[in-house]
Amino acid sequence: MMDELELLKKDWQKQGEHLPKLSYDDIYKMIWKKSSSLVKWIFYVCIAEFLFWIIISVLPINSNEITGRGANFMKITDWILQIVFFLVIIYFGYQFYQNYRKISVTDSAGELMKKIIRTRKTVMQYVWFNVGLFALTMVVVLLEVLVFDPPKELMERISTADSALLAWLLVGIFFAVSIAFFGLLFWLFYRLIYGIFLKRLNDNYRELKRLEV
Amino acid sequence: MNKELEHQFVKELENNQNIVHKVCSLYTNNRDAHNDLFQEITIQLWKAYPKFRGDSKFSTWMYRVALNTAITLYRKSKKRVRTQDYDAVIFKIKADEYDDTQEQQLKLMYNAIRQLGDIEKALVFLYLEDKNYTEIAETLGISEVNARVKMNRVKNKLRTILNP
Repeated sequence: MMDELELLKKDWQKQGEHLPKLSYDDIYKMIWKKSSSLVKWIFYVCIAEFLFWIIISVLPINSNEITGRGANFMKITDWILQIVFFLVIIYFGYQFYQNYRKISVTDSAGELMKKIIRTRKTVMQYVWFNVGLFALTMVVVLLEVLVFDPPKELMERISTADSALLAWLLVGIFFAVSIAFFGLLFWLFYRLIYGIFLKRLNDNYRELKRLEV
Repeated sequence: MNKELEHQFVKELENNQNIVHKVCSLYTNNRDAHNDLFQEITIQLWKAYPKFRGDSKFSTWMYRVALNTAITLYRKSKKRVRTQDYDAVIFKIKADEYDDTQEQQLKLMYNAIRQLGDIEKALVFLYLEDKNYTEIAETLGISEVNARVKMNRVKNKLRTILNP
């Protein structure tokens, strides 16, 4: 009996007559259609992420001008954070652009996947940086408010409470939980995007890598 | 853009479109998806065409772009149908060419290939297209030895599916 694979190969190579046949005009029309490739999607998502964080940083979160003892300290801290933030954006933006430009469909499959993953990784690092910075900013602002400009109502409650220490602890726990909650939310949000867009690519890349061992 | 380049490209693709159709048939399972993928591959080929210098054959270059698009770049459209309603746009086997057993075998074989992973499909595809290991290795970006090893594994896998 003939080997099945040989039989298959033979059949495969004469299937030409059963294949669909597109005309010159069909193909000509196609080259003007819009691509919906993964790389394009990733590009859009990354740009959206860059913009998202830039907008967040520009939005005035606390519009009440704080006066008093801590005002100067707060302003300086704010400025430093802003400068760091924009330097980092420029760095990541440049890295992202460089990685993105290097993606080429004529690379080998392995190389192509590696480059896409690297591009995505850069932006993920950017996102993590932002989540971290966001958490840090929250902590700084909270400390500033508590130290320099504590809300009167809260202070009264605490001073009338049975145990001041316990009350402070509760305030602390409340803040910690809310920060953790936001962190988790962001994490889920980005995992989702990452998962949807890159699951297949990651799987294939891993399969290819497994061969190399 | 350059009219002559357009014409040249469309002509080349028209002549070599079988390669793209075969890739589409391996990686999709209904006609809509097939056309969708064909279109995406065409767009990718066209985008990359200005950089194609002709140091390799047009068809060789096409294998790479077509497979890369199918494996990595292609995002399935939403209207995709989940069921395997692909009643053989491609894998139509003429009954009079083979005896019943052979026909049956081929059907099983094509079904088995559909169940393989993306990378395995690419290997089988290149094997069926009679590519040598150097070319297979270069297309996928693995070493020749690994391509050989992996190919043998896939072949055995297919044989096992056929002869349980």
